[in-house]
Amino acid sequence: MQEAERAVMHMHTRRHFLKESAMGLGALALGSFLGSCGNSIPGNNVVFDPAHPLMPKLPPFPGNAKSVIYLHMAGAPSQLELFDYKPELMKMDGQDCPKSLLEGKRFAFIRGVPKMMGPQAKFAQYGQSGAWVSEHMPHLSTIVDELSFLKAVTTDQFNHAPAQLLVHTGSPRMGRPSLGSWVTYGLGTENQNLPGFVVLTSGGKTPDAGKSVWGSGFLPSVYQGVQCRSEGSPVLFMNDPDGMNRDLRKESIDAINEVNQQEYAEYKDPEILSRISQYEMAYKMQISAPEVMNINNEPAYIHEMYGTKPGHACFANNVLLARKLVEKGVRFVQLFDWGWDSHGSDASLAIDIGFINKCREVDKCITALILDLKQRGLLEETLVVWGGEFGRTPMMENREGKKMPFKGRDHHTEAFTIWMAGAGIKKGFCYGETDEIGYSAISGKVEPFDIQATILNQLGFDHEKFTYQFQGRPFRLTDTRGKVIEDVLA
Amino acid sequence: MLLSISEFIGHFHPLLVHLPIGILLTGIFLQWLSLKGKYKGIRGAVPVVFFWGMLAAIFSCITGYLLSINDDYDKTLVSWHQWMGITVALTSVLLYFKIQNPRLTVNNKMLSVILLLLIFVTGHLGGSLTHGSDYLTKPLADVFGKDSVPNTIIKPIPNVQEAYVYSNVIKPIFQTKCYSCHGVNKQKGKLRMDDSLMLMKGGKDGKVIEPGDAHGSAMIKRLLLPVDNEDHMPPKEKPQPTESQIDLLEWWISQGANFGKKVKEINQTDKISQLLFALQKTSVLEKKSFDIPEGSVEEADHSVIDKLKGRGVVVLPVAQNSNWLKANFITDTVINANDLQSLLGIKKQLIWLKLGDTNMNDSDMKVIALLKNLMFLNLEHTNITDKGLQEIQSSKNLNYLNLVGTKVTVNGILQLKELKSLKNLYLYQTNVRREDWKLLQDAFPKAQIDSGGYQVPLLPDDTIIVKAKKEY
Repeated sequence: MQEAERAVMHMHTRRHFLKESAMGLGALALGSFLGSCGNSIPGNNVVFDPAHPLMPKLPPFPGNAKSVIYLHMAGAPSQLELFDYKPELMKMDGQDCPKSLLEGKRFAFIRGVPKMMGPQAKFAQYGQSGAWVSEHMPHLSTIVDELSFLKAVTTDQFNHAPAQLLVHTGSPRMGRPSLGSWVTYGLGTENQNLPGFVVLTSGGKTPDAGKSVWGSGFLPSVYQGVQCRSEGSPVLFMNDPDGMNRDLRKESIDAINEVNQQEYAEYKDPEILSRISQYEMAYKMQISAPEVMNINNEPAYIHEMYGTKPGHACFANNVLLARKLVEKGVRFVQLFDWGWDSHGSDASLAIDIGFINKCREVDKCITALILDLKQRGLLEETLVVWGGEFGRTPMMENREGKKMPFKGRDHHTEAFTIWMAGAGIKKGFCYGETDEIGYSAISGKVEPFDIQATILNQLGFDHEKFTYQFQGRPFRLTDTRGKVIEDVLA
Repeated sequence: MLLSISEFIGHFHPLLVHLPIGILLTGIFLQWLSLKGKYKGIRGAVPVVFFWGMLAAIFSCITGYLLSINDDYDKTLVSWHQWMGITVALTSVLLYFKIQNPRLTVNNKMLSVILLLLIFVTGHLGGSLTHGSDYLTKPLADVFGKDSVPNTIIKPIPNVQEAYVYSNVIKPIFQTKCYSCHGVNKQKGKLRMDDSLMLMKGGKDGKVIEPGDAHGSAMIKRLLLPVDNEDHMPPKEKPQPTESQIDLLEWWISQGANFGKKVKEINQTDKISQLLFALQKTSVLEKKSFDIPEGSVEEADHSVIDKLKGRGVVVLPVAQNSNWLKANFITDTVINANDLQSLLGIKKQLIWLKLGDTNMNDSDMKVIALLKNLMFLNLEHTNITDKGLQEIQSSKNLNYLNLVGTKVTVNGILQLKELKSLKNLYLYQTNVRREDWKLLQDAFPKAQIDSGGYQVPLLPDDTIIVKAKKEY
């Protein structure tokens, strides 16, 4: 008893008094500071409820898309060997690059005067829409009438990490929330037993920009992407350990949450509530995730369709998993596949060797994904986006001015191809053009901001009004740029 | 210089006009009030009020005149507004002097009634000038179900090559993007575009279209300026034409800006014929397969929504400021009789319902049949059979029906052939056989029927790994 009293006395030491009064004095400043951290969001209808951060919310206007699957080919695939057919470039094959294309330009690796390199693939037109696709995507060429190609995407970043950040967070520097975070912040997620934003990586490496490409930036951390393992069990420790039954697990989580609640009552930090809801999510995921995250119980014909290899880490498995997750109401599924950085520095990065193998890894399963979503009636409400972070040069790379051991192309910012499908996007459409050697965009030029604006538009958001108050100003995904690409909307 | 000062003064007109309206109305009100014995005392205030009203009216006339010579409004409407305004000013002058000088042989009661009417008419004309002549009645048109904005939707063209290039392709672009400022009611920059002669004549800066020279034409130049540029057209805050629309305008002008020819009579590049083709193709896809009903509905009963939410059902309006509801039984897939009753509680608002993977059976479909506004219904992987489908054969608003993984057969689906709005029908993994296909397509000519079962066959190359050749 005495001890308890002494403890209370301790709480009222001089130091504590000073601390408390300092708190009192600083309350005004604190108030404005907290305000800047985004609990009150003027002019924005998104309500952040820290106790139920992932509750489904309604968009400002009815959107076509309910979910998004973003297939990012990390390293940047060559548009000149896939979709942007340039016969004129073939005529220049092996010639020195004209001065006019090099003056005032900077490249990641090209130095001096590089040689031009013609398309390293055969092209043909497919479907009713007559889209050009190379021989490296024989499956995808059968479904071009479902896709809308953006042929003149440009960016201003020629290194992987900043370019990936730009595509996913709207800024080449770290610290901004990613697309998936914005979307789950704005819409929550329908299935309360699964995360709203799932990230799956393949190709042996995570993207160069690291986990910031699916980070939540200044949004509450509960909106960051949940990365699942692509080999073995997608989420570790799903099963209760020996001796721990379901009731005991529930009790222990309740106890932890109670302690956290008390902490919250004292400090009012919304991050504590995020933590509580994540504990609850983990508990609920133990039931639903093993079923959803496991591709093994899919029928054999589905495995054949996707070309999946259960038990191995591969992109196809992730693609099938993406379909399963979207079917179960996950809002945003982000896939990264590394290995598209075809510089020609070794065989796996050669445009005529490793690049073809990468194409073969993704072609069949992506085609299967579109068709599978379609036959399940999900393509109507799922937006699929495919692309890299930039394009590749029409010139052959000459790193440090020397000939490369293999054929490759350098990073290129002025033109690359991205395609979108489903959820109110035009079917069998092609937007934008590049010049006759595929060097720069001449019409229908779009930036990553425009693609972000379009994705948000399909989900029911006006990208200019979807903001988050932080550090004294409203931030938005597209910041000061971006225009919805009306031409690709059906 | 002088002109711009007068323009500056003129721009005060929209502000100033409210003064005579308010002051003169007050004057009239006080005048009539002072006739009553009780308010006799205010009689002295009446001429003072009328004096200021008169001054304000005269200033409004002057600023109004300056505005009318510098800006471009519909001539007839402006002249009516102008003369009515001058009449208001003169009447107020007359009224003021009559009250000051009672020997004048005019009836001041009569005069004030005339002034009142004149103010209303002039005010209305002025409003029509700034907001457009249909501004006042537009909301009424909505009430009576008339299409009040016929000029914002471009209708599909069935066969674009047979259509007329100006009236079917170009004019609709002008109609939706230009006429509001360069049409019957307003001719900003003295440009009127709804008449082909006036269009070719151009505006105050000269011609806007140079036939054969798209890039020399002021219209195209302004369209291509950055949106933030002051000279960009349409102005930043107005709806912008799409890039393909600009391409079509460019093409039309460069081919001579012809008004009478058919599309097929004019040279087309590959790109242009694609864009033209898109005009007939997008028409089919223009209407989204899932949309919300026209009009609005009252708010749903919150207690019912909360009850469903308590059961783990996701019930949400389709958007902010909308009362139409979506419901998704995603968390708990065991549906009981109470849940179905709850659905009936929001049957007016419910347009979107997902019951996939639940224990729904044929008898439950009786309830679904009562949800008359339902447009989207997903019953995938449930125990629904043909018998259940029979129940919804009068759900005439249905446009999306997903029956993937159910036991329905072609006979069950044919029961729904009266559902004319059905646009998307998903029949993957059902008992519909390949040979039934023709029957279904004939029964639902407008619908996209997807029976799935797609295959992505393994190609020999798929599994071959390319390796580096020796010589490297």
